[in-house]
Formats: sequence, structure tokens, C-alpha cells
Amino acid sequence: MAASLVRFVRGGLGRSFNIARTSCLLQQQNRLQSSTTETRPTVRPKDAVSHQQLAAFGEYVAETMPKYIQQVQVTCYNELEVMIHPDGVIPVLTFLRDHTNAQFRNMIDLTAVDIPTRQNRFEIVYNLLSLRYNSRIRVKTYTDELTPVDSAVPVHMAANWYEREIWDMFGVFFANHPDLRRILTDYGFEGHPFRKDFPLSGYVEVRYDDECKRVVAEPVELSQEFRKFDLNTPWEVFPAHREPKQAAPKLEAGDKAPEKK
Amino acid sequence: MAGLLKKTTGLVGLAVSQNPHERLRVLYSKILASLQTMPQDAAYRKYTEQLVHERFNHVKTEPDVEKLEKKINCGQIEEVIFQAECELSLSRKMNEWKPWEPLIEEPPPNQWKWPI
Repeated sequence: MAASLVRFVRGGLGRSFNIARTSCLLQQQNRLQSSTTETRPTVRPKDAVSHQQLAAFGEYVAETMPKYIQQVQVTCYNELEVMIHPDGVIPVLTFLRDHTNAQFRNMIDLTAVDIPTRQNRFEIVYNLLSLRYNSRIRVKTYTDELTPVDSAVPVHMAANWYEREIWDMFGVFFANHPDLRRILTDYGFEGHPFRKDFPLSGYVEVRYDDECKRVVAEPVELSQEFRKFDLNTPWEVFPAHREPKQAAPKLEAGDKAPEKK
Repeated sequence: MAGLLKKTTGLVGLAVSQNPHERLRVLYSKILASLQTMPQDAAYRKYTEQLVHERFNHVKTEPDVEKLEKKINCGQIEEVIFQAECELSLSRKMNEWKPWEPLIEEPPPNQWKWPI
């Protein structure tokens, strides 16, 4: 998989073409050919032609906007990914929308990924669709908890609720968003549930209180032991291949603690 | 002329253009003027000039609208006009953003490394 993940350096020699326009036809031909000559049906057939076209278009975009584009790659599933600097969200999205050779006029999805080990823990992902050329592109950028990202709403109206969702779930702030409110969680909810450091059981639990005759919210009283999930099944599914559970080293009352003084 | 024969484009919000040649001529010359202010070696200027010149030549040489649509091969002439409008607004914005400059900031190490 790693071998087929081709990465491209920014810039490089570029040619101008309407790549995607011809891609549809070529893809169809390729599909027809591959259905007849397929010998190993479980292996995904390599589509070298569309891979080439995507790579060429990625190079074209990277050459046109070298100020913002850090990296371009085509994944092994023939998806074009453009990694940009967070300042370039609006320029790159506008370029992809308005340029005659791109015309990615539809925003399909906008979401975030939380990777807490990174310096900028949130990755913002924009998925765009060009109906004219029948092709898709994925734009990625990054931010941390405090740095605001420019809102994509002036470019794509569809981004409005997606950005509210990201704000709600991850706590990424979008600058110049017209209406940045909570969208999915309950009134008075605290925290951002899709962050990796948000506990699985949450912070509050809600129950009906018979004395107050209303629903009350209380802090979760789940003791810590219950949060350590034992994922092993209690039944012996494959006794012969059962992994021995690691026995905790027990210290008996009669034993001496090893060399403590 | 096209408006007499053509009642609708079949696309919501896109009216039939009465004089597409005139409109395209205006738009393309405005785009080219806007591209003039960019540096010569900017990739955006290079590619867009090439594209616009190609279409502009078709518009100049082909008086018949249907044949012109076939030559440009990017949808109906109204869609081509819309694309030209977008390109014009983009080229004006590009003059502010100056995306042909070198990269503003390298990504932090391992930012794009996956799996981690």
C-alpha cells in the first residue's frame, strides 16, 4: 500500500490540459477492458490512467498556488488530496470553485480528525465535487485548539452547518462564520464529544427524579473501574487458541517486600 | 438570434443569453486585462491566458452559437458565460491573494504523516 501511495513534490514541470474532461471516457473504456481481462477478481484493478490524470491535475493545482499548497498526493484508491496551509482555505477553495479547469462547485463534506499526538491536533478535511468534470478532490488543512480557521461559508454555503458541527464536536473555531452555534448536542452541554480526550461515558448523566418530578442532570458517578473495559469474552470461544490472561503478580502477606529500606 | 429559437437552457437560474458573442467578448477581454497585472511567470496567468485565448479565438471565428458550443465543448453557451464570469471574479481576487509567491510556511514535522 505504501508503495502505491505516490507523493509529489510541489511545483515541478506542468502541462496545461483539461484533464478531467477526458477522464470520464477513458475510465469507461478501462472499466470495460478490466471486466473482460480480469483474472484475480478479489484484487482491486489498478486504474493507471485516472491515477495519472489525477496526479497531473494535482500538479497543476500545486503549480498554480504554490503559496498555500504544501503537499499533493494521490492515494491508492485514486483520490486526489491537497494539503494546504490554514491561511489558504478561502483562496484554494475559491480557486477550485471558480477556475474553468476545476469547477469544484459542490461541497460534499467538511469534517475534522483529531490526532492528539500532533502539534496541530485537528485536521480539517474538505471534500469537493466537480459535476462538470465528474471528479472529486479532498482538501486538508490543520489547526489546534486555539487557532481559528477561516470559515468556508463565503465560498460554499453548504459549509455552514458542517462548520457548526465541527465547532460542536471538536471545538475548532471558525473565524467569520455567520452563525457559529452548537448544533448537535443538548442545551447546556459542556465539552466537545469527538475529541479523543473526551471520556466515553461523558461528564454528566441525565435521569428522571421522582421527588423533583423532573429530569435532572448529575455528574457521572461511574467509578473508574468500570471505565476499564475488559474486551475478552467470558466464554471460551477457541479454547485451544486462548491467550493466557496475564496473572497479576500477587504479593502474599507472608512474603517480604523485596529489599525495602 | 439564439434567443428566438431557444426558449430555455433547462437549468434553474440560468437564463437564455440574447447576445452571447458580445457578452463573451467583453468578459474575455476583461479577464485578459486583469491577468495583465500579474507577473509574467505566474502559473495561473500562463494557464488562464492560454485557456481564454483558445476560447476567445473560437468566439471570434465562429458566428453560429451551436457550433461554437461544440467547439468550446464545455456545455451550453450560457454555462460558458457563467464560467467566464467566475474566472473574471477569481482573477481579480487572485491579484489580492498573490498565490504565485513561495510557500508561506512549511508544515510542522510529521503533520501529513499517516499512519502516525
